[in-house]
Amino acid sequence: MLRRIADHLFWMARYLERAEWRARLADVNYHLLVESPAPEPHPWAPLLAITGDGELFAQFHDEPGEARVLDFFTFQTRNPSSIRSCISAARDNARNLRHRLSSELWLEINTLYLETQGWSHAVFEQQGVYGFFNELRNRFHRLAGISHATLPRDIEYDFMTVGTMLERAENVSRLLDSKYHRLLPRLEDVGGPVDRMQWAAVLRSASALEAYRRVYGNQIAVQRVVEFLLFDPGFPRSARFCIDQLQAAAGRIEDAAGRAPAINAPGSPCGRLAAALRNTSAHRVIADGLHEFLMEMQDLCVEIGSMIFDRYLRFE
Amino acid sequence: MFDRLGAPRAGYSRVLAGFLATHAAKFDEIRARADQMFLNEGVTFNVYGDSAGAERIFPFDPIPRVIDAGTWATLERGLVQRVRALNAFVADVYGEGAILKDGVVPPDLIKTSSQFRRPAVGIKPPHGAYITVAGIDLVRDADGEFCVLEDNVRTPSGVSYVIKNRLVMTRLVPELIRAMGVRSVEHYPADLLACLCEMAPSGSSHPTVALLTPGPYNSAFFEHVFLSQQMGVELVEGRDLVCADHKLYMKTVGGLRQVDVLYRRIDDDFLDPVVFRPDSMLGVPGLTAVLRAGGAAVANGIGTGVADDKAVYAYTPDMIRYYLGEEPIIPIVRTYLLRDPEQRKIVLRDLDKFVVKPTGASGGYGVVIGPSASDRELADTRERIERDPAGFIAQPVVQLSVHPTITGHRSGGAAQIAPRHIDFRPFVLLGERPRVLAGGLTRVALREGSLIVNSSQGGGSKDTWVMAS
Repeated sequence: MLRRIADHLFWMARYLERAEWRARLADVNYHLLVESPAPEPHPWAPLLAITGDGELFAQFHDEPGEARVLDFFTFQTRNPSSIRSCISAARDNARNLRHRLSSELWLEINTLYLETQGWSHAVFEQQGVYGFFNELRNRFHRLAGISHATLPRDIEYDFMTVGTMLERAENVSRLLDSKYHRLLPRLEDVGGPVDRMQWAAVLRSASALEAYRRVYGNQIAVQRVVEFLLFDPGFPRSARFCIDQLQAAAGRIEDAAGRAPAINAPGSPCGRLAAALRNTSAHRVIADGLHEFLMEMQDLCVEIGSMIFDRYLRFE
Repeated sequence: MFDRLGAPRAGYSRVLAGFLATHAAKFDEIRARADQMFLNEGVTFNVYGDSAGAERIFPFDPIPRVIDAGTWATLERGLVQRVRALNAFVADVYGEGAILKDGVVPPDLIKTSSQFRRPAVGIKPPHGAYITVAGIDLVRDADGEFCVLEDNVRTPSGVSYVIKNRLVMTRLVPELIRAMGVRSVEHYPADLLACLCEMAPSGSSHPTVALLTPGPYNSAFFEHVFLSQQMGVELVEGRDLVCADHKLYMKTVGGLRQVDVLYRRIDDDFLDPVVFRPDSMLGVPGLTAVLRAGGAAVANGIGTGVADDKAVYAYTPDMIRYYLGEEPIIPIVRTYLLRDPEQRKIVLRDLDKFVVKPTGASGGYGVVIGPSASDRELADTRERIERDPAGFIAQPVVQLSVHPTITGHRSGGAAQIAPRHIDFRPFVLLGERPRVLAGGLTRVALREGSLIVNSSQGGGSKDTWVMAS
């Protein structure tokens, strides 16, 4: 397989995952607001903080009001991370891959892209915020289903898996970090109803609420949420699961390329992250500082990305 | 579609009856569905000069163009004859130059041709295959006879639309296509691959073929994707390739992999920055040297543009006689070489009655149609001709035949149908034996009265039905 093709596959998958994650975030934030008992002055500001869009937003707008944040976050083409921009970037990559993708997958990506060209705030008025994001999430599920059902499991699929899982692991850590540091109302609220509702929202944005309840029952507790989203080996949006999948795919890629296994080696960024996710408990992580753990996790994800780039995607 | 007396041409009466009876009311719906299909599937082209990434569909007209079996049999022989002669001409120009020495084609015509590529002199492609793919533009003249309007033997495009148009028609009117006995076009990619494999330098029993594209912003990118996918070969950009030890390689995840045959869809000028434009980012440095050493083959060969130069066109009937000893089966349009003072005088006297074309260009760019040009355009053209007479040819205006085409819809939804000018580009593959695609691209000028059918300038396309019997 051409290096350029591997690069397009990796980035197409990453951008699709990023777009989906952002659709989930916006949806959950909206629900939080609807259910929230105490209105905050800038209830949409956390969305910008989680995604790191705050600075760019401030260049265009003063007040982070609902309509502006939603527009910026969803439609704004000048925001390179808006959902529309992510879909457009995914589609640009897919365009270079048309001959490698199933026609069903290409058609679905291209149709979604063409729809985003017509997006404006009016869609929220027509479909409602809930309806819009719900439909969008279904589109991503369809994309995942089509990929799953129509693509051969080969090295090309593995490059997509690496992109998807790396992006997802990074997003899980951002999601947890945001809740722990930014959404906390007051110190004495910890463990209270608002806190529990917010943790439930975090779970929901990872499509994890029902799965969590199956494991831990109805009780929402910080330590268990952290345990579930970081360390659960079987839930498809836990960090542990993502890194397991990433390692499996990366191992097959190195085999197929006839390279000595380096990505998964014990001292490598990926090996270190995998070890941390397999051998640590939520109790320990919280005691030592969740934020520090998550920051290190994000750094390792960046390092994994550069290692894959150097070994397989770079041209010269 | 109709002869001068207004009767349907051979082959049309059955189609007309079938098509009009069942589908007249649905034409517009069919067209809208076809356009949507093309857009969703990304069957689009890019227009140069538009903002980057502007994608448009090639408008599709659902009323098919029909060619009866007898007419096609003659055309097919004529096309093979023509491409064989053009190929022999290219081989000769970059080899011994016999036709120039014998004075059949003036040598300075070649030396001054903007399409002559000195670095190609002495490169010997396997089987002497310079022109692997040719697209020959035909029109029906006022008498209803097909004649050649121009040859395209560099990187002719459009064949993907032939196949896609048919696919759309089989989805829209499946029963009609089956009942009519329309010849299939779907094996073109397999034929092309066979021709490319035949070119592999000796020693490769399972050659690696790749299609070289300039990338997603090229106007024909969809076609590059489509053909590589249909042939099951790698679609590469220049940066995917590297030349080393007189061989061509692509950069894969597992290391370098040798490429035997490159179907290139990049112009000569951009193909190899070592010998052509040094600023080209699209090409492969050192490719020409690899070809010379016989380490790889390219289709079409470098410098084939000498054969579709518009001034050389005037000599094509002589070429056919010279190389094949046959009389041309398909005539050409009377062509005035403006480098010749006598001919130039005739044209400049009545400039508004001629079509003036730059000799080295393609795609309809730079063509001036006298009868519809403004005084200013005519004056401008005259000045350009006088400055560089060898850069232009002139032809009498060929009244392209017209064909029923959907031009809108009346209130109530029924389609409005009017005559529009059409041309026709069949495709010829020259491998160890020639193969002609049973069909071709029928382009239609959608603007009323317009003679320009190019996709970049407001043209659309139709499916072309070659009848089996």
